[in-house]
Parts: sequence; structure tokens; C-alpha cells
Amino acid sequence: MHDKLNIEEVFSSRLRIKILKTLNRMGELNVSDIARRLGINYETTSQHLKILEDEGIIQHKMFGRIRIFRLNEHSPKAKAIQNLIEIWEQNGK
Amino acid sequence: MSQYQSVFRDETKLDINYVPHRLPHRDRELHLLMEFFSFALQTPDRMAQRVLITGDVGTGKTALSQRFGTDITREAVKRAVHLRYVHVNCREYRGSLFLILQHVVSTFHPNFPKRGYSAEELLRTLMQILDEESAHVILTLDEFDSLVEREGSEAVYQLTRLQETRQNKPQRLSLICILRNLSAIAKLDPSTRSTLQSNIINLEKYSKPQLTDILNDRVALAFKPSMVPEETINLIAELAHSENGNARFGIELLWRAGKYANAENQETVTPDCARKAVSSIIPTIRKTDLTMLGLHEKLFLLGTARLFKQTQKASVTLTEAEQAYTIVCEERNTKPNTHTQLWKYLRNLTNTGIIKTDVTTTTNSRGRTTHIQLPTIPAHELEKELAAILEKGDA
Repeated sequence: MHDKLNIEEVFSSRLRIKILKTLNRMGELNVSDIARRLGINYETTSQHLKILEDEGIIQHKMFGRIRIFRLNEHSPKAKAIQNLIEIWEQNGK
Repeated sequence: MSQYQSVFRDETKLDINYVPHRLPHRDRELHLLMEFFSFALQTPDRMAQRVLITGDVGTGKTALSQRFGTDITREAVKRAVHLRYVHVNCREYRGSLFLILQHVVSTFHPNFPKRGYSAEELLRTLMQILDEESAHVILTLDEFDSLVEREGSEAVYQLTRLQETRQNKPQRLSLICILRNLSAIAKLDPSTRSTLQSNIINLEKYSKPQLTDILNDRVALAFKPSMVPEETINLIAELAHSENGNARFGIELLWRAGKYANAENQETVTPDCARKAVSSIIPTIRKTDLTMLGLHEKLFLLGTARLFKQTQKASVTLTEAEQAYTIVCEERNTKPNTHTQLWKYLRNLTNTGIIKTDVTTTTNSRGRTTHIQLPTIPAHELEKELAAILEKGDA
């Protein structure tokens, strides 16, 4: 388990932002699909997902061997991030 | 240039995927289906049901199950019961259990991965999802024979005996299997077959009056008022009836006939539009069939074709056809044959499928009237073809 990260540490990674944007757009995805969409390898994707999950921003559910990730609907942080992404993408500027 | 006027109000109501609110002449079957699944609205986790729907092409199997699906889902929402109706055409998924289950899972999790597990794992996943969401799924397997053909007994067994491996757990999956006839499931092993065959709803082919009702309903939905005369509807109903009571065929004809009416800027959808429509669907009789006819048969047919072209009616009487034949004979300086002879021509032309005849008895019983129909060939095409053949014969 990571120590709690500061906001600047969570947002300092371009890939983590991209993962959050992708999950916000797609609703839910498995690790391979996220990796494929972002053009990065499975291992790196898993590491970033773990950091975000430890922060409680995302959550996963197991279906047999398959892990499906989504934004944590009970997390105020996830809600705030969702709002931020949506406002950012709506206004464009 | 004249302004484009369409005979249609909403042609999507004639689309193959459109499910009307009312299914004429399938009320009883719809009630029966509702009855079989009434538990799903009351105690969905205590029971699962399996129903087979059989019937020929165009007898309303898919429409019936989809209507049922929409109705029961609406009722479930009202009662706050988590019930999903999922309709899958097995042929579309090449009869693969894996792909079919993947589609069902994707209705809950649209981005569920497409690879990396087996059909058994997928079935377990589906049950896990249904358990977590306390949901019951009514899964309709349309063109079920396609699944049986590809996967055999094992897949069907897995689906029907699912609960045996989940003892004391809530029931989650009911099945409706749609197929043309029971011969498709004859190849299943006896125990699998027996689990399926307890509830069978067989849809009889539609009669002509029933097809007329169906077409009238669709005309009211899809066309502007008074655009499709009764005789066109009757002709299309007759054609659909001769296609084994196939309502889907009739509805498609109706749409095509409307398209022909629009293309030719006609004010209404005439019977001839329907004939053109059918000739675009069914291959018309070969020219050789016409060449093989005797001279007076050709002349009689030419007179009849002209009559249809002039009157735009769906059927003409033998008396009218005989008058038209006499005129054709006059034009060609040929002595017309007797009425008795015309009867023989009529029989031969009916046997070749060029015309159709129907005899009615009038109410005051003064005699019988023979009605002639030109079911598949547009009158003007037949006239043109016959004129060309006759001209060639004269040369």
C-alpha cells in the first residue's frame, strides 16, 4: 500500500490523467484494453492503476480472471476529477 | 417540375426490425407467453422458464417475442423488478455460444473484453453479474437451430441445466428458443431435448384475412391516409398468402409497392405497383413460358393484361377478360374462340402460374363469377412481352 499521495503527485503523471480520461469516457475497461488504447504496456498500466486504486479514485471488479476497472462512484475525489475532465473538455479553452 | 410527394408517412414502420404495438391475430400466443413468465414479475429468483416458439417464416415468431420482451420489461420497471429481456439472433453470431454469451454480458458491461476466456467462464461471469445485480434475464435465442447445429447438445445443456450447478442460489436465466420446427432439435440428446420441450408455442401460418388485417395496420402506420387502396392490400395479402402465409413478405411488398408509386409519381399505390414490387422480389416467369403458349392463349392473356393496365384493378372477371380478348382478336382479324375454349386457356394459364383464378358465388345465386388475378407480373410488362412475341410470330 502506498502512502497517501499529494494531489500534485497524482496529477504529475500524463499517463494517469490519460487513464482517468479514458475511464471517464468508456465507463469501464479491463487492463489490456486500457493499455491498448493508450499504447503502453500491460505492466506500466497495472502500476498506474494500482496507484489510482490505492488513492480510492478507481475501483476494480473481478470476473473470473478478468479485472474490470472503473472510476469509484463513491469517491468524492473521483467525482471531482470527473467534473474537472468534463468542464475541461466541454469548454476547450 | 412537379413537387415530390411521397405516399409514405413513416416508412420505418415497414422495416423488418420494427415491432408494432399491436400484433393482430397473435393475442392468444402473447397472453400465453406472458402467462409462462408471470413468475418473473412476482418471484423471479425462485424459478426459470424455457419456452419454444415454432412456426414457418413470416408467422411472427420474432415480432411476438420482441413484443413480449418490451411488454414484460415495462411491467417489471413498474414493479421495480430487475428483469432484462435480451434478444439474440444466433445466426448473426454464427451459432457460437461464446459470441452469444458475450453479447448478453455486453448488455451489462459494454466494454467487457472480447478475448481471453472460454464460453464456460463467460457463463459463470454472466451469472456473477446477475447475482450481483439481483437481475433475471429472459434470453431469446432466435434462429436457435443455428446454435444447435454448431454447438450441439453440450451448449444447450449448459444453458438449460445451469441451475443444477448453482444449488440453493437464485434462478437467474430463462430461455425462449425460436425455431421453424422441432426437427432442428431432434439431434439433441434426449435429456437436453426434454428440458426444452415442456412449453411450446406453435404459430400457425396466417390466413388471407389475417394477412389483410396485418397489412391494414401497417398501412395506417406507414402511409398517408387513402394512399393504399383496398384492392392493393387485397392483392398483397393474396401474394403473401401464396408465399406460405408469410407476413414479412407481405410487409416488404407493401414497402416496395410504395417505393414504385413514389418513383413513378403516382398518387396512390396501385395494384400494378404491387405487381412490379413482387416481380422485383420473385423472378418473373421466363419468356419461354409465354412463347410456349398457343396463339389464342397469348391473345387472351394480352387482352387480360391490357384490361389490368387500363383499369388498375386487382382482379378482373372472366366476362371482362373475354370482352378484351374479343377486341384483340378483332384487331388481328382472327375469329375469337368459344367461351368453353377460354376455360381451357384459363386453366392452363393458372397452372403455369401466370394468372390466378378465384370463383365466387353471388348472393342471389344467379351464378358463379370467375375472377382473374395477375399476381406476379406487372400488366404493362406482360403486354409488352406478349406484343413482342406475337409480332415475331407474325413476321
